[in-house]
Amino acid sequence: MSTKSNTVERNANSTAKSSSLKEICARALTKSEWEDKDEFLDVIYWSRQVFGILLGIIWGIVPLKGFLGLVLFAGISCGVVYLYAINFQNVDEDAYGGAWELVKEGFMTSFAGFLVTWIIFYTGLHYDSIMAAKPT
Amino acid sequence: MWSDTFLIVFISICTAFLGEGLTWVLVYRTEKYQRLKSEVDKQSKKLERRKETHGDSLDKSVKKKIERYEEKLKNNNRDLSLVKMKSMFATGFAFTALLSMFNSIFDGRVVAQLPFTPISWIQGLSHRNLSGDDYTDCSFIFLYILCTMSIRQNIQKLLGFAPSRAASKQGGGLFGPTPAQFK
Repeated sequence: MSTKSNTVERNANSTAKSSSLKEICARALTKSEWEDKDEFLDVIYWSRQVFGILLGIIWGIVPLKGFLGLVLFAGISCGVVYLYAINFQNVDEDAYGGAWELVKEGFMTSFAGFLVTWIIFYTGLHYDSIMAAKPT
Repeated sequence: MWSDTFLIVFISICTAFLGEGLTWVLVYRTEKYQRLKSEVDKQSKKLERRKETHGDSLDKSVKKKIERYEEKLKNNNRDLSLVKMKSMFATGFAFTALLSMFNSIFDGRVVAQLPFTPISWIQGLSHRNLSGDDYTDCSFIFLYILCTMSIRQNIQKLLGFAPSRAASKQGGGLFGPTPAQFK
């Protein structure tokens, strides 16, 4: 019975915690303890989506071209997540099933978002020069 | 060029909401789904915790218990996938119809320029229904799929319809082996 009430209590706590977005953002920006693993993974997931879109916009404005753009994105995205989780937040990677689990969290979705913004900005901003450079 | 690409993003946002709405009507709001989902989530978390605490224990009774839990979870996961199947068919039909409509609207039109040359097995998709050999031309379907990949999953997560991490880690439903089996 006591375990049941404990679980209920913990669940109640976690919902109370997850309700305040501001608090989570503040904790994400400073070094803090993460009792709820899902909460930390959510922070990684959403920041990664935003980060992917931002990189897509930058790559499109520059414009970066070719395989280099893809490799740079993958490298930066994984590297930043790894450094953020292990060096900045100091989380125990084994508790999350290894660093790989952290690095791949939301990667494909952010990759798709990155490609979309990269393609849109590249096409929209540089269309005339791309067409001029093409052999007719 | 902006107009085509933004139109495609808008279309994929609309279809993502339509798909989720349809699934909500057919599946998410049903009592059976909610019961199964909460059960699967609870059991996955319990199993994960149990595995963590008794990880390498050689005790046979503990192992048997864990196996029994896994079996139960597998059954529930299967039921959950079957419940979802109904809506998958419905959305599948709706999307095939919509996609063929959009395909005919954008037929043979270059909607964007790719900043990279896709690898050969993606070229079939990125250069679908386009003429010429310039593989940096992007077809409607490629951009639409990319948009859907990012938008639909984010919407699912935002609305809380995505399967929980513990469940997808333990179960995997009908699709593929679970990572736990590789351990």
